[in-house]
Amino acid sequence: MNKTKVLVVDDGVEFASTLAERLQLRGYDATAVYCAEDTFAAVKSEPPDVILLDLKMPGMSGIEILMTVRTFAPDIYVILLTGHMDIEKEIEGIRLDNFDYIMKPVDIKELTVKIDKAAEKRKLGRE
Amino acid sequence: MKIRDKLLLAFGFYIFLAVVLSFFAYKEMQAITTRITIVEAANDINNKFLDVRRYEKNFLLFRDKDSLQELKKNLEAFKENFDEIGAEIVREMGFDNYRMIKGAIDEYEYLADRINERGSIDKMRSRARDIQLFAENLSKKERENINALLVRSKVLLLFAMFIILTAGGVINMKLAVSIARPIRDLEEITKRVAGGDLSGRIEVRGRDELSSLGVSFNQMQDRLQDTMKSLELAIKRLHEKQEQLVEAEKLASLGRIAAGVAHEINNPLAIVNEKAGLMQDIIEMSGDFQNKERFLSLIHGIAGSVNRCRVITHRLLGFARKMDITVETMDLNESIKEVKGFLEKEFLLKSIRLELNLMDGLPKINSDKGQLEQVFLNIMKNAIDAVEGGGLIVISTAAKDENTVQVSIRDSGPGIPKDKLKQIFEPFFTTKGREKGTGLGLFVSYGIMKKLDGGIIVESEVNKGTTFIVEIPVRFRV
Repeated sequence: MNKTKVLVVDDGVEFASTLAERLQLRGYDATAVYCAEDTFAAVKSEPPDVILLDLKMPGMSGIEILMTVRTFAPDIYVILLTGHMDIEKEIEGIRLDNFDYIMKPVDIKELTVKIDKAAEKRKLGRE
Repeated sequence: MKIRDKLLLAFGFYIFLAVVLSFFAYKEMQAITTRITIVEAANDINNKFLDVRRYEKNFLLFRDKDSLQELKKNLEAFKENFDEIGAEIVREMGFDNYRMIKGAIDEYEYLADRINERGSIDKMRSRARDIQLFAENLSKKERENINALLVRSKVLLLFAMFIILTAGGVINMKLAVSIARPIRDLEEITKRVAGGDLSGRIEVRGRDELSSLGVSFNQMQDRLQDTMKSLELAIKRLHEKQEQLVEAEKLASLGRIAAGVAHEINNPLAIVNEKAGLMQDIIEMSGDFQNKERFLSLIHGIAGSVNRCRVITHRLLGFARKMDITVETMDLNESIKEVKGFLEKEFLLKSIRLELNLMDGLPKINSDKGQLEQVFLNIMKNAIDAVEGGGLIVISTAAKDENTVQVSIRDSGPGIPKDKLKQIFEPFFTTKGREKGTGLGLFVSYGIMKKLDGGIIVESEVNKGTTFIVEIPVRFRV
């Protein structure tokens, strides 16, 4: 069975790299990127199963990145990382398919459950 | 009576008095004038008869014709005068005397015509003495009369003056008092009004202009007092409203600051969480080494603290977060029961009696069920913490008016002192001590109710208990 490919997107290097490493330890193929351009490049070169996306990013917001990614990879599952619970308001009007969110600081168990669920869903979608 | 009428009446009275007095004075003058004429006439009679007697004496001395002729001439004049005031003489001296003296005069005249006869002259002289005495008496009497009349007039004049002074004084006094007293009252009360005392009222007497002024003044006072009262009430309400607004603004600012701080803290906290987590992962995956268990327990401590911080930051961020309200039609009574079920264990554990007074037919409301239940849970938890074992918590629902429903949660706890009551909605205000609470429950509940267009009112009395009243609009409008 292939490892679930996870792309962690957060401008906080410490946070993103550490989280990626923890996911790797748990058997995920996790990579961390720290800006929008790297995200698009990573998605294009090696499309992940799940993107963990920080809502607050300098320059381009998480929502904008999400919208852009959806234009060329519509079926990628996205889990938004957010510091607060404004999420419903922010994602108003966006297609809610293949989407979830989790609040920072994240509980690693909760996160892996969400990632696994996303991978499952994606696999089912492919078949 | 009107003041004008009073004055006119008093004036009329004086005019009347003057007319009456003038009339009497005139009459008196007339009487005096008549008397004077009579006195003069009586004097004339007296003098004329003295003349008659003078010629009578001359005749006796000289026996001449001239003297006799003068005597007769004067006697004629005397008779004429006598007849002129004959009526007065009858009245004054009596008819018998008049007739008698008239007879004496006639006899005197008769004798004078026969003066040369023997014995005539003696008889004449005897008659003359009678007549002279009579004339003197008459004159004296008339003088006495006029004197009596003058004395009477004097007395009458004094009496009239006394009457005028007394009656006039009394009437003027009454008039002055009836006009001046209401004015004085008005002045006194006006001074009190000027001093700010609106309680004074004018005692209304009679029906004159000042009374109607008094009535109007009293009405003005009533209205002024009413206006002042409603003004005071309005100011009081304004103050309350202002206080509420200040309170709300303060809480909103606190909320913004707290959320800002929470947001700033949240990112480093997330990093601490991940680093500690990674440490834990690595250590758990490593083989045994010295102090492994100790490191794990230390990391566990960090994770616990991070978790506690997360709870706080998430709740603070929750207060400031914008509208994320899910409106649905809900039954408040059902929600209360649900929350109650959630806390059943704690009620049992502390043996707290719980009474539910849920209103039958409470209108269903449109609101955010999850958030409302969060509010009820927070308040109920506080209530449970407040009452000691065996205490009582009463939860009631009611329709306040057609647009608002209320949930009241009353506990029999120790109550909240007045100075603390203002602070209870502030973040991190807690009476429970660090272990038990974050001091954010009511703060968050307050924020939720603000967002749901409702409110939380707290009433508390030390040693009696506390009641939280949650007001919720029946229909939530975004």
